[in-house]
Amino acid sequence: MSAFWKKAMLFLTVMGPGIITANIDNDASGITTYSVVGARHGLSLLWTLIPTTIALIVVQEMVARMGVVTGKGLADLIREEFGVKAAFYMLLGLFIANFGNTVANFAGWAASMQILGFSKYVMVPIGAIAIWILVVKGSYRILENVLLVACLIFVGYIISGFMAKPDWAEVGKRLIIPDIQWDAEYLILSVGIIGTTITPWMQFYMQSSIAEKGIKKEDYRLTRLDVIVGCSITDIVSFFIIVTCATLLYPHGIRVEEAAEAAVALQPLAGGHAALIFSIALANASILGAIIVPLATAYYICEAMGWEAGVNKSFREAPQFMGIYTFIIGLAAAVVLIPGAPLVDLMVLSAIVNGLMLPFVLVFMIKLVNNKKIMGEYTNSRTYNYISWITVIAVAVLTVLFVFATVFPIA
Amino acid sequence: MPLFGELFLSEVLKKPVFDPKGEIIGRVRDAIVVKGDPLPKIAAIVLQHRKQLSLIGWEQVNLFSKRVISTFLNEGEIPSYELNDTDLLAARDILDKQIVDVNGVKIVRANDIKLEGYEGDAVLVAIDVGMRGILRRLGIERGSEGLLKTFNSDIPYNLISWTYMQPLSPQLGSITLTVSRQMVSDLHPADLADIISQVSQKEGAALFENLDIETAAEALSELEPDKQAEMIESIEPEKAADIIEEMNPDDAADVLSDLPTEVAKEILEHIEKEDAEDIQELLHHEEDTAGGLMNNLFLAYPPDITVREAIERFRKDAEEVDPVYYLFVVDALEKLVGVLSLRELILADSDALLADIMETKLRTVAPETDEMVVAELISKYDLVAIPVVDNEGVCVGVITVDDIIDVIMPREGKRKRRKV
Repeated sequence: MSAFWKKAMLFLTVMGPGIITANIDNDASGITTYSVVGARHGLSLLWTLIPTTIALIVVQEMVARMGVVTGKGLADLIREEFGVKAAFYMLLGLFIANFGNTVANFAGWAASMQILGFSKYVMVPIGAIAIWILVVKGSYRILENVLLVACLIFVGYIISGFMAKPDWAEVGKRLIIPDIQWDAEYLILSVGIIGTTITPWMQFYMQSSIAEKGIKKEDYRLTRLDVIVGCSITDIVSFFIIVTCATLLYPHGIRVEEAAEAAVALQPLAGGHAALIFSIALANASILGAIIVPLATAYYICEAMGWEAGVNKSFREAPQFMGIYTFIIGLAAAVVLIPGAPLVDLMVLSAIVNGLMLPFVLVFMIKLVNNKKIMGEYTNSRTYNYISWITVIAVAVLTVLFVFATVFPIA
Repeated sequence: MPLFGELFLSEVLKKPVFDPKGEIIGRVRDAIVVKGDPLPKIAAIVLQHRKQLSLIGWEQVNLFSKRVISTFLNEGEIPSYELNDTDLLAARDILDKQIVDVNGVKIVRANDIKLEGYEGDAVLVAIDVGMRGILRRLGIERGSEGLLKTFNSDIPYNLISWTYMQPLSPQLGSITLTVSRQMVSDLHPADLADIISQVSQKEGAALFENLDIETAAEALSELEPDKQAEMIESIEPEKAADIIEEMNPDDAADVLSDLPTEVAKEILEHIEKEDAEDIQELLHHEEDTAGGLMNNLFLAYPPDITVREAIERFRKDAEEVDPVYYLFVVDALEKLVGVLSLRELILADSDALLADIMETKLRTVAPETDEMVVAELISKYDLVAIPVVDNEGVCVGVITVDDIIDVIMPREGKRKRRKV
C-alpha cells in the first residue's frame, strides 16, 4: 500500500511533459481535422486512431528517452551530431511552419471567442498578453501546473461525446475493424490525421521540457508512463470529437470546414450545452497551442544556436529565448487581427512545411537514439528498432502523401 | 611554412589533399589539436579516402591554404588512423559545441575555428561565434556579404579569443570560458584592448574597425603604443581623426606621438581646430614629464563667482572633461590662485564666493617635472589630482591619479595566456 502511494506520488512529480505535449497536440488544427473527419465521413475513419496512437507513443517515447538520458534538447543533439547545415535549414523551415501553426491557434481562439460572444479585437490581445506573462514572468513549475489543469478542459469533449448518445456497439465495431474506402477525400483525411497528430514541434518541445525539468535516469520508467498516458488521453479526446460530430452532424449532411463551424452547427442539433462545451474546449486548446508552439520554437532555435533557454530564466538571463517567444506571439496575434490577411494560405503553407520536415526530424531522431556515444545503454533494442523504423517510414510516407494532397487538392 | 596568414577550419574541411605527383589522396576530415605555447596548434591532419582514415603529421604538410592543401608524402607512405577518444579533434570536439561562461551560463555555439600561421605552426587563435561563422559553413558568406553591401550594411565579425577558453579535452560536453557572459557581450574597452593585442594584426584591425567611435577611443587608449599605431594606421584617416577627437587630449597626444610624422599630420588635419590645438600643445612636452602626462582639459573658474553659479557652470562644462576631481580657480591673467574639490563645492553655502572657500595653499608641479616625482607628490599628499603650472603661475593642465597609476604599474598585456 505505502509502496504504491510512494510510486504514485513520484509519478505526480515526474508527470507533465508527456501528458502536456500529447494533449496540446490536439490544438486548433487537430480539433479541426477531427471535426471535419466526423462530420464528413461519420465513424468510417475511427479505426485509424489505434494505429495513430501506437505510432505517437513509439515516436514520443524515443524523444522522451533522449531527453532523460542526455539532459539536452533535440535541437542540441542535431546541431552537435549533424552540424550546422542540417540544424540551420531545419530550423528555418520549422520556424515558418510553427509560425503558421501559431497563427492557426490564434485564429481558433478568435473564432471560439466570437461564438462565445466576445470581440476578437479584445480577446486576441488579452489572450496574447496573458500567455506572454505566463511564460516570461512565470517559472517552469507554474507553467506546467497551469497547463496540466487546462488539459482537464479537454474532458469537455468526452462529456459532449456521451451527450450525443451514439450507438456504442457500432462505435466499438468501427473503432476496431478497418474500413478502407478508395475515395480521394477519405484518403486525404486519413493521412491528415497522422499529419496533425505527429508534428515536428512536439518532438522538440517534449525533449526540451524534459531536459528543463531535469528528470533523472532512474525515473525514466515513470516518464515512459507519462508518455503512454498522455498519448492515450489525446486519442481518447480525438475519438470523442469524431464520435460527437459523426453522431450529430454526419446524418444531417453538414459539411464543416473548421472546428468553430462544428461548434456553431451543434447548437440547433444538440442544444446550447454541447455547443458551449465545444467552443470552450476549442478556445482552451487554441490558447494552449499558442503557448506551446512558440515555446517549442524558442527552445530549439536557442538550443541550436547555443543561447541560454528556459521558462525558468528571466528576460535578462535568456534574452534570445524570451525574444523569440515574444516575437512569434506578437506577430501571430497581429496577423489574426489584420482584416483580409491570407490566414488560410499561411496555414496550408505551414502544414506543407511541417509535413516536409517531419521525415527528416524522425530520421535524425532514430539515428540519435541509436548512437551509443550519446545514449549509452539506453539505445533502442533490436525489436524496438524494427518497430520504430517501420513507424517512422510509415509516418514519413503518409506525411509526404499528405503534403502532396495539400499541394494538389482534389476538388 | 605550410600556413601563411589566417584561415578558418571550415575553409579546409572536405578539401582535397594532393601528393607530390599532384594526385588527390583524400579529403580533410579533421585536425588533431595539441597544446602549444602560447596557443594550441594543429599537430596532424586526418584524411579520409572513401571509408579509410589516414594521418599526415604537420611536418609532412607542404601547403595548407583554402585554395590548396598538399603533402610531401606519397600515397603508400601515409599511416592509417583510427578515431579514438584520446586525441582532441578540432571538428569533432570543438565545432558546434556549446560554449558556456565561467558560471555555466550558455552563451553560444562554436560556429568555426580561426587558425593562424605562427612560427611554422597552424595556431588556433579564436572561435568564431558570429553569424559569419554560420554563413561560412553554409557556404554563403560571400553571397550574404554582397547582398548586405547593397543595403549598405555589414556582417560583424564575432570572435572569442582563445585566451578566454579554459583547457579543452576530447569528450568534453561543452567549452568553458574564463569570463562571464556579460564580459563577452559587453566587453569593457580594456578587455577589448586585451583581445586586440593578442590576435593578429589583421584580425585586430577588423575588430577595431567594427567598434563604434566611442568604444574604439576607449579601447585605443588602453592599448600598448606600438599596437595603437598599428590600429590607427590600419584605418581611414577620417575615422582615425574621429576616434582621436573622442579621446582625452593627453591620450590622443600619446597616440599621435608614436605615429610617423606624416600620418600624424594627416590625422591632425582632419581633427577640429580647437581639439587639434590642445593636442599639439601637449605634443611639445617630453613624454616622461608632467607635461607629457597631463591633460590640458580642465575646469577653471574666476574667484568672484558664487558657489551656485559655479555648480551651474559645472553642469554644463563637465560633460566634456573627465575625470573631474577639482575645480581650479584662476584670476584674470589665468594664474592659478586656488583649488576646490567637488565635495567642498557641493557642501558649501550656495551664496558663498569661490574665493572664500577655495584652498590657497597650492601643491603644483611644473611641466618639466619628472613623472616619478609627480607620482611621489600624489602619493605623499594623498591627492587625486595635481595641477600643472608654468613658470608664470599659469595653469596649463592637470594630472589625475589614474594617469599616475599607468606610470607606476605599466600595463604590459603580459597576462599569462591560457594553454589548451
